[in-house]
Amino acid sequence: MTTSQKIANALVGILLLTAAGWLCTSVFHVLGKQTDWEKAWEYRETLWQGWKTTIAISIAALGGSVIFGALFMLGQRSPLPVVRWSCRAFLEFVRDTPLLVHLLFGYFVIFAPLMSRTLSSYGWEDKLVIGVLLLSVFEGAYLGEILRGGLESIPQAQWDSARAVGFSSPQIYRHVIIPQTLRRVLPAIAGLFVSLIKDSSLLNVIGVMEYFYNTRNFISRSYAGLEGYVPLAFGYLILTLPIAWLSHRLEKHFRHET
Amino acid sequence: MKLEATNVLKSYGQAQALNGISLSLEAARVLVLIGPSGGGKSTFLRILGGLELPDEGTVTVNSHPLPHRPDGLLAYRRRNGFLFQQFNLFPHLTALRNITLPLEKVHGHPAAVARAMAEESLARFGLASHQHKLPAQLSGGQQQRAAIARAVAHQPELLFLDEPTSALDPEMTAEVLELIQELAMAGQDIVLSTHEMGFARAVADQIAFIAQGKIEELGSPADLFSQSKSEVCKRFLSKVMRY
Repeated sequence: MTTSQKIANALVGILLLTAAGWLCTSVFHVLGKQTDWEKAWEYRETLWQGWKTTIAISIAALGGSVIFGALFMLGQRSPLPVVRWSCRAFLEFVRDTPLLVHLLFGYFVIFAPLMSRTLSSYGWEDKLVIGVLLLSVFEGAYLGEILRGGLESIPQAQWDSARAVGFSSPQIYRHVIIPQTLRRVLPAIAGLFVSLIKDSSLLNVIGVMEYFYNTRNFISRSYAGLEGYVPLAFGYLILTLPIAWLSHRLEKHFRHET
Repeated sequence: MKLEATNVLKSYGQAQALNGISLSLEAARVLVLIGPSGGGKSTFLRILGGLELPDEGTVTVNSHPLPHRPDGLLAYRRRNGFLFQQFNLFPHLTALRNITLPLEKVHGHPAAVARAMAEESLARFGLASHQHKLPAQLSGGQQQRAAIARAVAHQPELLFLDEPTSALDPEMTAEVLELIQELAMAGQDIVLSTHEMGFARAVADQIAFIAQGKIEELGSPADLFSQSKSEVCKRFLSKVMRY
């Protein structure tokens, strides 16, 4: 950086800080007097339950999306054209419609009439199960594309070399193709997991009692302001920031390797 | 090695890569394929190495017809070694692991035995101090040498080399060619394609000139380089030897 750039950098920094500081103080000036953190403390149990549900949903949907992602990827590489085209059409549909629509449509029109009674008879919460399933399909559609791109980015020379050393087809995938694909797609998958955690908040529309749902309930019941929305934001940040950080680290790590 | 090919045809879509290759060699240690790019050297080599199946024609290697079924071809590939122009090594594995992995998974050696064999093979080619490096940390010449170490670690019956130095600068080319010559002198049967005419002349027992998907001429280096009968071959040689 040249000296003039350094000065400009410092000036812009101070300007941004001032702006952020002004915004915060004016918000606190208006809302500060009404902010009562004890309200949040009273509702800690339901907020904590919601937060734990969000984690559970995210982990379950991560597992589910890996399964769906692998299926979508394999489907698109199928030797049968009809499988390939169906897969493509379905993925196109999933990726071109909002998750909110999937959740409402998928729950109220398709799955709830079909499965709710069965799930309840097993003692499972149908909203939770169906919500996780729909979220898994949605994120799986993106994961499938990430995996397909990763697999197709492995150069032909690697397949040739693997065949030349005498690996069988399963061995080629196991020892050569999959390890290299995973290295290439792991940063993107970590990024997708961040989206998945954020998207899980949409499950509130079908009544899943996750973090957003419970926090919103608490806010509307107690007329809370900052003491409701600040924990809401931080509750998600605590989950997503470490994964975003991991994603950036993986990216750097694997960039050095090649 | 004993090689026999009759009327081998191979096309990729519209492109006719091999146009009826026939060849008969009773005994040769090193067969070198030369000829213009796109003439069919690589395709022929890939068929000999069991990586591709010919559309028509038969190939017999050391009195055994080349298998047609996938499992037979796999067993055939496992007996032999094959080296490409570049990107032979698996970039996510160290040089050592690149060699031990096939020794363990393909040839069924226990880990300790595989490691000893791999270390010996790397040491033989002057790479002992580089065994824990990833391919990206090796020079192009070192990568190629490590790839050769992998291709010969299981003592292959035949070694196929497809333009092994075409992607290297002159200095690295020299170090790789030296190594191939050493292998040939140690008794390894080799089929290789190259554009290095001096090297072809020095190392070959037999040279096949391949152009337009056919063997235009087959003969000893001395015959082929000094009194070539084929016009195409003469023109090619005079062109590449001019500078």
